[in-house]
Amino acid sequence: MKNCIACGMPMRKTSEFAMCDESKDYCVYCARPDGTMQSFEEKKENLTNFIIKTQGLSGEVAENAALSMMRKLPAWEDHFT
Amino acid sequence: MSEKRQLQKAQTKEKITAAALKMYSENGFSTPTLAIANEAQVSHGSIFVHFPTVEDLLISSLDVFSKEIEKELLLLSDSDNDIATLLEMHIDVLIRHEDFYKRLIKETVYLPEETKNTFIAIQSTVSIHFLQALEKKMSEGKIKNVPFHMIFNTWLGLVHYYLLNSDLFTPKGSVLKQYKNSLIECFLTLIEK
Repeated sequence: MKNCIACGMPMRKTSEFAMCDESKDYCVYCARPDGTMQSFEEKKENLTNFIIKTQGLSGEVAENAALSMMRKLPAWEDHFT
Repeated sequence: MSEKRQLQKAQTKEKITAAALKMYSENGFSTPTLAIANEAQVSHGSIFVHFPTVEDLLISSLDVFSKEIEKELLLLSDSDNDIATLLEMHIDVLIRHEDFYKRLIKETVYLPEETKNTFIAIQSTVSIHFLQALEKKMSEGKIKNVPFHMIFNTWLGLVHYYLLNSDLFTPKGSVLKQYKNSLIECFLTLIEK
């Protein structure tokens, strides 16, 4: 089992890997339609919107939380150094 | 630094965070570092070698807790998107961490921003599975027409209310164990058409 480098989700089934390709290090939710990994800005926006949709938090709080989650993930290391 | 020394350092750090989690759970997040050092059986100064500030110790301990609970929450995907099973599994995870979780929801408002983000991340993991389970039922018209976040927050509100007032409902023992079935039944009655 691998964890997605961009969102941390454990990928336990083939269908959870981007393009159903187990050699990929990111999950289906962090992939663009063409299979490439979303950019930092795209991921930040998606994660923020997900938090707003599911927890109803204010935009500012949700964005801070999204950045805090991304800070701990290997895909975005360079953006926080 | 030698490998042995590095290992010893990591072990001491682990001992301190384990002690901190126990003490926070029992006495709250303002537990003095001296009490944590005593519990971990290390010198008071040793804490500050590993965690330069009290806030560092708090954030690191919460990180350990969130990793543990998130590992268990990710298994909610085994509920096969059945809402009742999902709710049951969620409560079971909370029962295993009841004292600490209760402390967290009670005191989170007074904690540094970074710890609030940890709390949001924990709920985010739960919400992924809620969303997957509810979206299917919503598309089949089996769930009342209420925004998803209100449904999710209603569940958390219900569970948190019982936790925060556990002394009124269950003076001794686990309030979640005692009210698990009632909470699940009530919530399903509220959201299902």
